[in-house]
Amino acid sequence: MKNNIKVQRAIHDLTQADLAEKIGVSRQTINAMEKNKYVPSTVLSLKIAKLFKKSVEDIFFLEDNN
Amino acid sequence: MKTNYLLPNKYKIFGWILFITGIISGIVLQMDQENFNFNFIPGFAYNFLDEIISSLIIIGGLLVGFTKEKIEDEFIYKLRNDSLVWAIILNYAILLVTVIFIYDGNFFTVLIYNMFTPLIFFIIRFNFLKLKSNSNEE
Repeated sequence: MKNNIKVQRAIHDLTQADLAEKIGVSRQTINAMEKNKYVPSTVLSLKIAKLFKKSVEDIFFLEDNN
Repeated sequence: MKTNYLLPNKYKIFGWILFITGIISGIVLQMDQENFNFNFIPGFAYNFLDEIISSLIIIGGLLVGFTKEKIEDEFIYKLRNDSLVWAIILNYAILLVTVIFIYDGNFFTVLIYNMFTPLIFFIIRFNFLKLKSNSNEE
């Protein structure tokens, strides 16, 4: 799964630490997601989408191999 | 995040103290059985220093491995689970090799170490993964 959290973060002018604090996770979690090393749970995906006021599909995408 | 089985973060430092004390005194005891294996209570028939050291390592190790992080979330939970799987596989791979190649009295020594190696491998792997995810900055 891929995501554009980094882009969304830039649009809202948030650092990884800011975003992490807003949704109540560690900065490492945001970092791991942006590097596609970690697939977030549904709850976390929904929280991120809600914060950016987007639908989940606008932020997270399936890849061909999923 | 709501997690099962994990104690609050404040016990972690206490766990590290017990764990490191236990490991160091355990190594010293293994190297120097005669001098270090003293009696706590003079006249008491049984020497129970090894029991104390084992308890230190087990209690300390459990506290270190199974207390919450400062920010406990699903990613750190996944790291913990992955480390546990890795530690169990490594532990039994090593045990299998020693079962095949080491016999009799020496194997008893292996069994003594094997009481603690799953916890030790787990703690090393977990902290390694945490450090790795920490150092991968933006």
